[in-house]
Amino acid sequence: MGTRFAMAASRGAMNFVLGLAILAVLWAAGGYLIAADPKTASFAGFGLLPTMKAFPELWQAGKLQSATYASGYRLGSGMAIAILVGVPIGIIMGRVEWFRKLSHSPFQLLRMISPLSWMPIAVFVFSAWDDSIIFLIAFASVWPVIYQTAAGLSKVDPAWFKVARNLGATPRQMLTQIILPAISFDIFTGIRLALGVAWVVLVPAELLGVTSGLGYAIKDARETLSYDHLTAMVLTIGVIGYALDTLCAMLIKKFSWHRGDA
Amino acid sequence: MSTHAVAMANPAAQSRASAAIGGAAAGIGYFFAGLLILIGLWWLVVYIATKNPAMAHFASFGPVPAFKAIPHLWENGLIPKALQTSGSRLGMGLLIAIAIGVPIGIMMGRNKRFRELSNSPFQLMRMISPMSWEPIAVIVFAGWNSAIVFLIAIAAVWPIMFSTAAGLSKVDPAWFKVARNLGATPWQMVTEIIIPAIAFDVVTGIRLAVGVAWIVLIPAEFLGVTSGFGYTIEDARESLEYENLMAMILVIGAVGYVLDSICLGLLKRYSWHK
Repeated sequence: MGTRFAMAASRGAMNFVLGLAILAVLWAAGGYLIAADPKTASFAGFGLLPTMKAFPELWQAGKLQSATYASGYRLGSGMAIAILVGVPIGIIMGRVEWFRKLSHSPFQLLRMISPLSWMPIAVFVFSAWDDSIIFLIAFASVWPVIYQTAAGLSKVDPAWFKVARNLGATPRQMLTQIILPAISFDIFTGIRLALGVAWVVLVPAELLGVTSGLGYAIKDARETLSYDHLTAMVLTIGVIGYALDTLCAMLIKKFSWHRGDA
Repeated sequence: MSTHAVAMANPAAQSRASAAIGGAAAGIGYFFAGLLILIGLWWLVVYIATKNPAMAHFASFGPVPAFKAIPHLWENGLIPKALQTSGSRLGMGLLIAIAIGVPIGIMMGRNKRFRELSNSPFQLMRMISPMSWEPIAVIVFAGWNSAIVFLIAIAAVWPIMFSTAAGLSKVDPAWFKVARNLGATPWQMVTEIIIPAIAFDVVTGIRLAVGVAWIVLIPAEFLGVTSGFGYTIEDARESLEYENLMAMILVIGAVGYVLDSICLGLLKRYSWHK
């Protein structure tokens, strides 16, 4: 049993590395072709090797750290607001039928307003660009949190609430002892979806106005024609996104208690 | 009280029908009541904000000017043109994403080796925020239009791919054995077994893809082009026509709502494992 598990894990690690190696080879081949053709030689920076060489440069200049920090702060604040607003609304939606029915059409309409279309308004309302970016991220990521929380609650066996009430649970105990443990899995599923959306919104939100963050770093690299820095930042975005997504997937696994019924 | 009386006086079938009609009527009632509350809140926020004389020129952010602006924007062709250009970009991008994502998803679902190997590179590429491809897309594609279509396609391809693969992994392997034993050709295998079995999951993926594509479309149209919803918003802001800005945001929400509802309708149609 133990060895089989270890073998499966090593096989997984091998596939992980091999898959990325294939991607790297394809990238290197593409970069070689671009560099070899005199017409496209000025874009040689897009290749794998120049990109890898750009990483230490960006690190030493502090650009990598400052961009990650600035974007991380905006992403974190936006997601925190989305969770603080989304989970309570989701719980109300799951518990109160008339609220669920009444909120359906306005929430669907608001959800399907592409988040970046709020940009002009956010800029008016918030004096700082930072705050309007946080608003855009919060607005984009609140919907998956709301809907997953509500869906999770609707799957909870109503008998649990009856039992808790009969045992004299206060509303507060109801929340902390029944509702939150029962739906933590769904909340984390919602947060994972929300992260995906927030990640899509973050970069275009940073293309305008601000002079920090991953989105700005990409724009800056393009304007200075440093294509190696450009692809290095694109790769950084992918790696950070991958890491955050994996973290969410691990949290979901940890809080999954209804694994059997899938 | 009256529905109770109807149910008492008539056979069960009729009471079921009247209950269904009653349910639909209640649904429509909630639909409009919900939207009315939203518009009421919108009006209230703008009313309170513009009470301050310094903010009075922002009164055109309110619902009344926005609803007045919609027929005007329709007549001068701005909304139809935005619908057409943004629609064709969205449609093209989604079409490319489906044409690429479904076959790759089927391969991932059927071929274990491919699934294991492709996981890490695909996950990495999926988590590259689509708009970060923009500078590269602009260099690679000659026209802004094709660059936008590319951005939509690369944003939309992942949910379709992963949803297709997940759908295929749920298909009972016995079906493939039976089909093979009955002498199905690979082509028949695809058209008779795989596609009907995973139609639901493909549409689920398309619905998610529409959501992401809709997010990417607007910022992609902020730059370079002079048509589409994103451009229209930028334009309204720069010319300080706030009522047009709010009207376009409303239209974007309504179009997105309709697109999402179409996907939901398709999902219901293709749902067989219920």
